[in-house]
Parts: sequence; structure tokens; C-alpha cells
Amino acid sequence: MSSDQKELFVQLSDAVVDMDEARTVELAQDVITKNYDTYEAIEKGLADGMDRAGKLFEEEEYFIPELLMCSDAMYAGLEVLKPHLKVDQQAEKFKVVIGVIEGDTHDIGKNLVKIMLETSGFEVIDLGRDIPPQAFVAKAKEVGARVIALSTLMTTTMDGMAEVIRLLEAEKIRKKFVVMVGGGPISQSFADRIGADGYAKDAAEAARLAQKLALEIAV
Amino acid sequence: MVRVDFKQAGVSVQAEKGSTILEAARKAGVMIESPCNGAGTCGKCLVRMSVQSDSNVIQKASRHSNRTLASGMVLACQTEIYSDVIIDDIPNTAPQGLKILDQGQSLAVELDCSISKKYDAELAATLIYMDGQLLGTEKGDSAAKNYGVVVDIGTTTLVAALIDLNTGDELSSRSALNPQALQAQDVLSRIRFASEKAGLAVMYTGAIQEINRMITEIAKQAQVKKSHIYEVVFSGNTCMLHLAANVNPESLGRYPYTPVIDGARHLKAIEFNLDIAEFGLIYLPPIISSYVGADITSGILACKLHEREGITLFVDIGTNGEMVLAVNGKLVATSTAAGPAFEGMNITHGMRAGVGAIESFEITLDGIIIKTIGEAESVGICGSGLLDIVGELVAHGVIDKNGKLKDPKSMEFPEFIKERLTRRDGKLVFALSEQVWLSQKDIRQVQLAKGAIRSGIEFLLANEAITAAEVEQVLIAGSFGYHLRVKSLINLGLLPAEFDGKVEMVGNTSKSGGQAFLLNKNYRRDMKALVKRVGRIELADYQDFDRVFVKCLGFEEV
Repeated sequence: MSSDQKELFVQLSDAVVDMDEARTVELAQDVITKNYDTYEAIEKGLADGMDRAGKLFEEEEYFIPELLMCSDAMYAGLEVLKPHLKVDQQAEKFKVVIGVIEGDTHDIGKNLVKIMLETSGFEVIDLGRDIPPQAFVAKAKEVGARVIALSTLMTTTMDGMAEVIRLLEAEKIRKKFVVMVGGGPISQSFADRIGADGYAKDAAEAARLAQKLALEIAV
Repeated sequence: MVRVDFKQAGVSVQAEKGSTILEAARKAGVMIESPCNGAGTCGKCLVRMSVQSDSNVIQKASRHSNRTLASGMVLACQTEIYSDVIIDDIPNTAPQGLKILDQGQSLAVELDCSISKKYDAELAATLIYMDGQLLGTEKGDSAAKNYGVVVDIGTTTLVAALIDLNTGDELSSRSALNPQALQAQDVLSRIRFASEKAGLAVMYTGAIQEINRMITEIAKQAQVKKSHIYEVVFSGNTCMLHLAANVNPESLGRYPYTPVIDGARHLKAIEFNLDIAEFGLIYLPPIISSYVGADITSGILACKLHEREGITLFVDIGTNGEMVLAVNGKLVATSTAAGPAFEGMNITHGMRAGVGAIESFEITLDGIIIKTIGEAESVGICGSGLLDIVGELVAHGVIDKNGKLKDPKSMEFPEFIKERLTRRDGKLVFALSEQVWLSQKDIRQVQLAKGAIRSGIEFLLANEAITAAEVEQVLIAGSFGYHLRVKSLINLGLLPAEFDGKVEMVGNTSKSGGQAFLLNKNYRRDMKALVKRVGRIELADYQDFDRVFVKCLGFEEV
């Protein structure tokens, strides 16, 4: 890799971290004009930037608005680069079925996790909010998902998460999926109690954990 | 079985081996605050064990890591008992010197009670009527003894006042912690707790017992017989009314959030074990929706929002921020999930408004002025203090527009600020004393809470195509709101800057409005009709709610 190319990827990553959408687009266009590898530009530029933004979020340096502005910049850059990806580079990604559990309509947290999952290389199927447990199972089977991610903000609806796991067990397909839970009232001990595979306290941690767990399960 | 001694309370109890101190305390009837209901997350159920007890207990793996526990201190919910244990001290029982506002904006009410008494000389008895219908009789002439009670059932606190129905005078009043808060602090936890039959029984009997106790006290103080109390008004949010009426609140906690009861009705006091006249009644004011309850109906009544000319915004700042916009008599209401940060939950050194809580904070040219309740040594931060601290730090640039605490090296701050920007457990914090500090995480919690309320205001205004500048009056209700400083609310951006100079703290209007319901029966009819006309906005139904909420998280003007 030329030093210019390397430098450009670093700048792309910086532009994402600095929440600079215009600059990210400009740099992404540079990648195209200079005929650099778009796949690498996404990996080492945009995704790297989001990864750094996620770390800053975990360290409490960044908060939700900053994380969202970083992702705006990242998506804008992606728009520019994506059409130039070579076909063989559009490798199959792990799929995640995500949604807010039945009875709850608060979805900001779920949307943040979705962004972080997408930037860490997952294909995310977003079911939305107020989703019955059965719908998670059906969709996960249909698309061949590897991860099921459940979110809720309300103490009153968290028991629906256990129902998703019960349904998977009843169909004897529990081991095929990584089930992750998160949201305001959720804790590690709740995740343990209902037999979920993972809990993360925020969106950045969720994405990292999903990467780890998705590789661990034997399918 | 093992024996647990609660020294402070002077009680001991036999407990199962392996049960927790909290379980033993509940069995013994000893109150330990446990707002997270034993999940091990809130850290409020600290107790001090005797030294000898140490080897007789086992700690569950506790995830509470906000602070290390002082020696001898354990979390009651996380400590399992295997042999006899002595508990020397329970710091967090009902907070000492709790500040509860029992007065609210009162209005001139024409006396026209539902309850009336008349002496009948022929029968030598006094007849008691409810809206003209005979309720019961008493021997002799007791027409002069005609009383009612208004109870504001707050999520955190209860206020009860005894009213002379012949004169409209308030004779005595009491406030107390809502005992339900000891088991489940916020509304959602309470809904979950009471979704099961046993949980509902605990919540219902807890509230009724405490209300009975308060009624006994206010009656005694005013030297009134409880049998001369004929009507009790329960004013409170929708969940509190469900629990007090022994109704399962489960549907309130699930989309589409439907209430089971809608208020505007009477219940028989005797069926709810309320200790007043045997034929006495409970009145529940009309409920607007699941998250805009009878307390807000009382607030509308107390402030006569529906009769005001011009544009008025009524906001009850609390765990659920309820608000009503009144535009020349047209009312629109909404509520936002602010979360419990204002009550000191999820805040590293958060606490309720008890002795030693930092309740106000101000940065001046010469230094920092910190006031604690009871002028005691600071032990934590209560809601008003929290908003003051964050508001002042924002106003003085110590917290930047994104909510980040600034590095002391990066800015020219006066020495008295710099020395407080220090590190605890490796993280930058703002120190208030040796033991009490504000963390970055705490600031994030405040941002979430104020962002929720501010976005509710933004949507209410936008829905009526009104700008913040056009709002003529802003009424902040609730006992929590009463202790807040307008300056801090505006510094935080919880209220738009345009509201400066228009804000009035109206206090506990749930109580004063409830009192108006007690004193004039016509309000019951009027408000029942009015709540049907109140527009309701469900924030979750707006596509751009996320965007507005996120915009409201920062400290820049929206």
C-alpha cells in the first residue's frame, strides 16, 4: 500500500471520528479518483473510524449525538464507495435479526445498536418495534441469521425476551443462534437468568460482542 | 432457621438459611430501602453488620461497582445469611427530614361539596347525603362535624390533608414516603411488581395502610373522629390510582398502554379497608391517559388551565414528565420517559432529598456555594442539587456543549474550579466534597432526562405550530419542580431560553386540585367532560422523535 493510500485511509477514519460528513464524502471521492481499493477504504477508513467512535462512546468521551453524527459521516462515505466495490468483495455477511420486544415502542437504543452492527460488518434485518417473540424466531429462520438481538427500555416488557429463547428451545434450534439482549432495565444477571448468550451495556460493546459470539458458535 | 437482629428497630426474626438480609428485614417488617427490588443494581439497601456477623454470611456475586463499600457495610439484597446475624445500622430507611411539598397553587373554590349533613329533629338523627342521595345516618345532631380528606398519591411521596367540608378549611396535613417505593421505585418497576397477584396485594395494602396511618394522625391532630370523615379523594398518576384501587396495572406497561380504569368514579371506602365512616366513599378524579393521570387533571383544575386566555404550558417535572399545553382553552397533553435520574437513581452519589443531600449549588466570582439539606455534611446529591450542579457547570463552560467535562489543563478556570476537576478511579469527575462527586456518566444521565422532557415540549409546541417565544406562561408543578431553580432549568436547556421570566412554580397541584374536587362537586362533572376533549400526543408515534430527542440531549440551544 502506498503511503499516500495509507494516509488517505487514516484521513477517512479521522473524518468519521471528527463527525465531518462533507470531508468524509470528499475523501471517499478521492479514493475513487485515485483508483484505490474501495473495500480497503471501507475497512481501514470508514469502519475504523466508527470503531474508534464506538470506543470514545464507551469511554464516555462521546455521547449519543456524537456517535450518530459519526455514523452520518460514515454512511455518507459508504454511499460514495459502495457502487465501486468489486462483486467478489461483497462477501456474504453474518446476518442479525434485531428489534424491540413486544409491548415496547422505544427504539432509539435499538437503532444505535443497528448502526454499530452494520459498521462492524453485519447485515442487519431490522424488524422495528413492538415485535412478538414468534416474529423474531420466524425471521431468523427465514434469513438464516446468526444473531438475534433483542432490545427493550421498559421493565414491564423484558420478560418477552425469555419467551424468544423458550421458542427457540421448543423448536430445538436454540444452538443455531446467538441471542443477545440489551436496554435500560437489562443486566448481565438478567441475561444469565433467561439463558441469553450475551448482554452489552451499550451499542459499541454490543457490536464487539456480536462479532465475538458470531464466530464462536458452531453452525 | 437462623436469627437476625435488627438492633436499630429493636426487632429480631427467624429466617431461612440462605435467605437474604433484605428478605429477613421484610419478614420482620423492618424497612430497608430497596428501589431496584433486590436486583443488586441500585446499591441503596446498605446495612451495617456487627463484626461477629461477618463470617455468618455469604455475598452473592454483586455487580454493584459504583463505589466500594465501607467496612462492615453490605448490600442487604446480596447478602445471604447462614448463621445468626446482627444488623447494627440501616442508613437508608425512610430518609430523615424528607422534603415533601404539601401545598400547591390553590384557587378560590365556591363551597358546594358532594357530601352534606342535615339534622332531622323528628328522627333525632343526622342524615348524610352524597349528591342528594342518602348515604347513612348518625344518632343525634352531628351536622357540624363533616370532614373529607384529600390524598396526593405520588410515586415517591404521599400527602394527606384533612378538610372541614362545612368551611372548606384545611385542618391538618401529613406527608410520608410512599411505602411502595421501597420495593419498586419507578412506575414501570411498580407495574411489573403488581402484574402478579401477590405483588399487587403488597402494593395495594402498602398504600392503604400508610394512608390509614396518615388519616389517623391528621384526625388526631385536628381532634376529629375518623367516623366523621365521609369522603377521600385519591389524586395521583394513573398507575398509583390503579394500585390504590387494587386494579392490576399490567396493561399500562405494554404498548398501546391502555388504562383499565379511567377515574371519575366513587368506590366504597369499606371495600378498600379505608378507615373512615363505614359508609364513606373514595373519589377517583378523571384520568386522561396511561401516562397523563388524575394528578394532571387535578393540576389542570388547580391552575384553571382550561379557562386561561393565551398560551400556557404546564409541566410536571419528574420520572415521567407530564405536560399540558393550553391555547385559549384548547388543551393538548403528552408525557415523556425522563427516567429516575432526577430522583437520584443511576447517579453515582444520588439520593433523595434527605439530610446531607446537596440541594443547591452555585458558582460565583469568588468561589462555589454548596448547600446541603439540614446544613449537614454532604452525603449525596438530590435532584435539585443535581440540576443546579450540571446547570452551573454548563453555564461556566466546565461542561462543554456536548456534555463532556473539560480537562482542567485545557482551560483557564479559576483555581477553585480546577481543584475540583479531579480523577476518581482513573476517571475525570467534578468533586463536591471528599466523598461526593459528579461523574461523566452522571452528566449523561442528566442529559437523557432533560432531553426527554425538552423533546416533549418541542413536540407539544410544534404540534400547535407555536414557538417557545409565543408561550406566555410556564407553570412548573410537582413537589420536585418546586425546589428547582429556573436558572438551572434554562442553563440545562430543559426549558427553552425563551421561557426565562415566564416561569412560575405552582407546587403540588395534584393535592390542591384534589382538594378542589372535594370541595365542589361541579368540578367533577366539568373535568370528566373536559378530559375527553384533551388532545393526546404519543411521542413514540412521531417518525422524527429520535432526531428531536437526540438534538435535545446537548447543551446548545435547540
